[in-house]
Amino acid sequence: MHRVTLLSLASFIAPLALAAQQPTAPTVTTAPHDSVRGAIRAVDVRARTVEVTTGVGLALRVVRLEVPASVPITDRKGGQGEPIQLAQLKPGDVIRVAFGGRQTGWVAYTIERVGRMEAGVP
Amino acid sequence: MTRAWIALVAMCSAAACRPPQPGEPLRGLSAAERARFDSGRAVFDSIFTPAVGLGPLFNASGCGECHENPVVGANGDEVERHAAVFHPEQAGAMCDELAAQGGPVFQDSVTPALHAALGIDHEPLPSIVTTVAARTTPDVLGFGLLDAVPDSEILKYADPDDRNGDGISGRPNRFFDGRLGRFGRKALVPTLREFNDGAFQVEVGITNPSVPAEGTVTGNPLPAGTDPAPDPELGEHALELTDAFVRLLAPPAPLKQSGEARRGSDVFARVGCTGCHVPALRTGDNPIRALRHKEVAAYTDLLLHDMGPELADICLGLATPSEFRTEPLMGLHLATQFLHDGRAKTPEQAIEMHGGEGTRSRDLFKALPAADRAALLAFLRTL
Repeated sequence: MHRVTLLSLASFIAPLALAAQQPTAPTVTTAPHDSVRGAIRAVDVRARTVEVTTGVGLALRVVRLEVPASVPITDRKGGQGEPIQLAQLKPGDVIRVAFGGRQTGWVAYTIERVGRMEAGVP
Repeated sequence: MTRAWIALVAMCSAAACRPPQPGEPLRGLSAAERARFDSGRAVFDSIFTPAVGLGPLFNASGCGECHENPVVGANGDEVERHAAVFHPEQAGAMCDELAAQGGPVFQDSVTPALHAALGIDHEPLPSIVTTVAARTTPDVLGFGLLDAVPDSEILKYADPDDRNGDGISGRPNRFFDGRLGRFGRKALVPTLREFNDGAFQVEVGITNPSVPAEGTVTGNPLPAGTDPAPDPELGEHALELTDAFVRLLAPPAPLKQSGEARRGSDVFARVGCTGCHVPALRTGDNPIRALRHKEVAAYTDLLLHDMGPELADICLGLATPSEFRTEPLMGLHLATQFLHDGRAKTPEQAIEMHGGEGTRSRDLFKALPAADRAALLAFLRTL
């Protein structure tokens, strides 16, 4: 069975281009905008945080986000982008979040609820 | 001269009409697609070392280490560990795939550097785990055709409330962003490309543009110095080639059916197996002609079905512990172990282990006259 050598493999390895959906660690004060779409795993209204499960294939990860009071949270239902409260978000809701990094962690800029993770046979 | 020419044309035609052998590409590829297939096979069959990114946690040193029997892209005898947390006694219980603790795949090997740093030889399971599952290596032959099946084709077989009263109530799984899932034993993953890209990181520890960060060790960051290769450890071009190889692998051609096997096909339908193992799905529009508007005899509906408590293991996404995606039966004649964890050593044992929505068909199978049972098994051996 033919196997390529490591040298020939190296020819396939193209340089970088980090995908935006996979942030690693918030090490800078202000990181560029990033976004994630995933299912809410937990909401802490008092601490104003949400945890979102996302990933690629079976490479799953959880993104923990702070949600300042000023962050607009909307519900796509009805197509109007109706404003909702953090407390209205529930585990299993599918949300799209624009966020960035601060020294304290990831911080949400906007949150849009786009649906729920359910079998949903039309 | 003319006779020789006719013979040459006949030979070429026969070669073109011969069904693809396991490991060969789909018929009808363009020269460029064929070239990508061949290049992709080289990446798929590569052996990675820690110096080029293997690990620090991994299940195999390359795709071909597991998908190897009898050809690259086929089955393997490796069994890996998946784990999750599920508390059915809690109202509205949701699955915890342990994504924050390194799950759901917990690797069984580590590089020497990680062993030296932590003294471990596999990724430890978190203490909160409620279930550990064993997962065998499936073949990926014909998966490009499954990827090309439109969601609407899958959803037309869904009957979550069993409105037709046949005791079979397939329902789709969904990824965390709401898209329909279809790959993996619990149908969590929506596309073949994502399944491949994720597998590089989860199975081989190879970061790439889709998954640029290494996994954690049960939720804890890797110790400094244990991952010397710069990320991403594999580039976009290599990812695309690997995807092309897997996508363009032909499904195993069914074997020639005897009269008994043909009769077994009817028995298979009569006892209700086709309620889940739908004989054929149809692909939709596709940029690759060899995948476009094709019938794929996959014997699956790509939906989740309750298989009963005896087979239950982990939850995943919307799939409860006892729900599994209908396993495609194409290529069954190449398999040496059966069911998601390999507990069945023959197709007959696998049928007899069906529970839940498969109970009725199982019982009908067990009650068949010996000749009908033999015919059904002969049919399965041709798939």
